[in-house]
Amino acid sequence: MPLDSATGSPSPFEAARIVSTPMPQAKDSRDWTIEMVSVARSRDRDSFMRIYDYFMPRLCLYLRGLGSAETIAEELAQEALLRLWQRAEQYDPSRSRLSTWLFRIARNLHIDRVRREPGWIQVLDEPERMDVDDGAGSASSAESYAEHVDLKSRIDRLPAIQARLIRMSYFEAKSHQGIADELGMPLGTVKSSLRRAFLKLQDDVRGTP
Amino acid sequence: MTPRHHLDPSTVMAYAAGALSLELGVIVATHLAACAHCRRQVRDAERIGGLLVEQQQAAAVDDSRREGLRAAMLERLGESVPALPPRRHDDADAGDPDRLPAPLHPYFGTSLHGLRWRWMAPGVHCIRARRSGGGSLFMLKIAPGRSMPLHSHGRSELTQILQGAYSDALGHFAPGDVADLDSDVLHQPVTVPGVPCICVAALDAPLRFPGWLARRLQPLVGL
Repeated sequence: MPLDSATGSPSPFEAARIVSTPMPQAKDSRDWTIEMVSVARSRDRDSFMRIYDYFMPRLCLYLRGLGSAETIAEELAQEALLRLWQRAEQYDPSRSRLSTWLFRIARNLHIDRVRREPGWIQVLDEPERMDVDDGAGSASSAESYAEHVDLKSRIDRLPAIQARLIRMSYFEAKSHQGIADELGMPLGTVKSSLRRAFLKLQDDVRGTP
Repeated sequence: MTPRHHLDPSTVMAYAAGALSLELGVIVATHLAACAHCRRQVRDAERIGGLLVEQQQAAAVDDSRREGLRAAMLERLGESVPALPPRRHDDADAGDPDRLPAPLHPYFGTSLHGLRWRWMAPGVHCIRARRSGGGSLFMLKIAPGRSMPLHSHGRSELTQILQGAYSDALGHFAPGDVADLDSDVLHQPVTVPGVPCICVAALDAPLRFPGWLARRLQPLVGL
């Protein structure tokens, strides 16, 4: 959702500032709201480069895992971060963490590059396109810092096989059938393990039904 | 239209991870267009993806390489921003019962009345997608009050109901509902009386085996 100064209502950034309270920062999960405000409002290059330095190697690792050669992974990661710079005012911290937003961008760039199927991006954009209808920053989709830390610890505590299947899905974009073939597991077992893992993580994320 | 049959969480995750075939993805997007519940599920799944990306231990990169990339990035920050593609505004006619959901437009056109059905069997018409990847994506129109033969799928199958309804051992499926079936489910849908049941369905892409294995296996598995 773009900032809209004409309406007079607080922009997502202002809203996030109002409610933000100092929180301890875990080593691996930071809140980038302040940097994103500076990028969106004052085109602040230093703030952007702090985000860049943190996410560039992680995005490269993610994209290489999906099967891109090193140079392609670097190119796509640069492109994803350039989009973050160019479209910073569209980022709404009350709706998603920066990592979620970047994950979407990088995943879509990858699919656009490797699949060359014009229908895909439209398919993946559907939830974002419909975001408007779901109401901004609704409690169920807001990602508070505390919830985020919780989700991280839950992922760390998943049973080994569930964690492995989740990683194969997200980091190798393997289909359920592909995972079943590679691990010699029945397809139904792959799906039910992933289902259990997701519900477990989500339960903790949501707190209440 | 508030759907009561939703996507399986394992399907939601595969979609968010970009790990579904295009055909299954089209059905997921069609369902999402009608289902706020599943859209929330997708957002949760994308959030897990973002977190996994964040959690990775960043590998040590050669300093000169990293500096080169940083410099290239800084240089590009001054580029003029390309205009965003215009948002599609096809929601205006979302209430039009003749209008197909937007994710189907590239494959089947924009309207129900424009569909060119092909006869398959008594009471059953079908249309294959105009273009698709390796899997199959098709629409079915089944006359009201008709019983389909008992069958299972052997592969992942997703079916989204657009009009009419059917019932089987798994329940009653009405417009907006999706049937996300495991490959081993055996079912016998019966369409309800009244209007024909129109649905859009996808089967997972056929398995592809690399190299010599492919040549030996493909005749056996019927590819």
